Amino acid sequence: MTTAARLNKYRSIANRSLQNVMAYRNSYIINLLANSINLVAIFFLWQGIYGGREAVGGYSWDQMKTYLLVTFLANSVLSWYSETAISGKILDGSVAMDLLKPIDFQTARFAETLGASLLEGAMSTVLLIVFATFLTGVTFPHSPIVYLLFAVSLLCAVVVKFGVVYLAALLCFWSTGSLGIVWTRIALTNLLSGALVPLAFFPDWLEKLALLLPFQAIIHTPTMIFLQQADTWESLRLIGIQLFWGAGLWMAGKAMWNWAVRQVTIHGG
Amino acid sequence: MKISQMLYLYRRLYVQQLKAILEYNKDFYILMCSAALTQVLGFVFLWVIYDRIPDIQGWQFWEVTFMYAMIFLTEGAGSLFFEGSWRLGRLVNTGELDRYLLRPVPVVLQVFCTGIGINGLGNLLIGGVIIWQSLVHSPIHWTAGKAAILILLFVTAVIIRVSINLMGNSAAFWIRNAGNAFPLMVHNLSDLAKYPITLFPQAIRIFISTVLPYAFISFYPATYIFGKSGWSGWWLLAPVAAIGSAAAAYGVFRYGLSRYESTGN
Repeated sequence: MTTAARLNKYRSIANRSLQNVMAYRNSYIINLLANSINLVAIFFLWQGIYGGREAVGGYSWDQMKTYLLVTFLANSVLSWYSETAISGKILDGSVAMDLLKPIDFQTARFAETLGASLLEGAMSTVLLIVFATFLTGVTFPHSPIVYLLFAVSLLCAVVVKFGVVYLAALLCFWSTGSLGIVWTRIALTNLLSGALVPLAFFPDWLEKLALLLPFQAIIHTPTMIFLQQADTWESLRLIGIQLFWGAGLWMAGKAMWNWAVRQVTIHGG
Repeated sequence: MKISQMLYLYRRLYVQQLKAILEYNKDFYILMCSAALTQVLGFVFLWVIYDRIPDIQGWQFWEVTFMYAMIFLTEGAGSLFFEGSWRLGRLVNTGELDRYLLRPVPVVLQVFCTGIGINGLGNLLIGGVIIWQSLVHSPIHWTAGKAAILILLFVTAVIIRVSINLMGNSAAFWIRNAGNAFPLMVHNLSDLAKYPITLFPQAIRIFISTVLPYAFISFYPATYIFGKSGWSGWWLLAPVAAIGSAAAAYGVFRYGLSRYESTGN
């Protein structure tokens, strides 16, 4: 099969997943609104924290506002949908059908994720623009290079996050439910990626540890670039690290899949 | 039906569910640990912030952790004993609710016993520890009356939580969709009550004190226990909020049930 034909296959999978999100748009919009409740709560919490203070942990209030918005965007680009779709396939046994198809399971799931992410990203961006117009003092970068680097790092963040989600989902081969695994993954990712609080707030040892792990590539890197806390060369280096984790997790996912399918027990005859 | 009979039935139904989950015990532990971990990491978040600043608009670390933990503790009690309300959507959509209607047992009781969220145990445990630590680390002048009121406030908090969950999930009678998106959104609104409501604009304060009285789970009990000036006496409204939300939830559930027309095949 030629490369073009192969790509075409996965593009149609991505397209289908995009349409899937469209079909269930009401649930998706309610979901997005539900997530923005959390953003509102966290926003006012931070506002209280900054009340009468110039800077906390090296971030000014204006920078923190920007940080929260960028975090929200990076978080909602790959959300619940892709999370439950993969583990769901494994738990209900429909993965057996995927084993029969002449497509790579991992690539197909990634294509699905990308398809949904596209729409999720677009909708979150709209929501963010609404938020941003109500807020004063959000610091936007001026240089177009920053936006370019940010877009690239956001895409890389999706790859890394997919890697983490995929590995977590494969764990469902050994369990009978996905909820606990999903919750654990979300909790760990939120803390160690900088989604809850910038890594600079952590005590020294925890910050060092977080920087050594892949999670920081999901939130910390895009926000560093958008807030211009990293210059162009530093940004490229950070994106390089994201790519390293993206590739590493991809291969780990592949290895784990190859091992897991040999242990598979599917419900029913 | 008498209360004692209801309790007896509740216990019997509950034990049956318990047997069912103990069958899958690996999941049991994963769920419990993940719920506990989620809560602990949220606690770490507050700790990291308070490591940098002494207070948030006059609120001390242990006062905020108390509110934070109350939200999780009541959630834990809700999932452990009343998880079934989260299955209502599926019961309505698959028409399984038919079975419940045929039995001479209150439908709401059967719904409550449709499942057990064992994750609640993790939340109860960690929430309990955090609340205990909050009380130990704060200068509170304890009297028997204060302890009794605290227990009363715990009870009202759980009632409010469970009622709001039931109300949110009753949306399944109107929204014909397999998902849980709407009740989850109602559930997520409790995020607002994890922190002092004084941080929020007036509109949000009123909303989480009246429409969805989550503030009576966390904030108002905290003002009483830590003796916040300017808020004395407000906790007295907690039982009112509890009775109000329970009545409203039951009303909404009954009304939804009267509209229930099963699924056609």
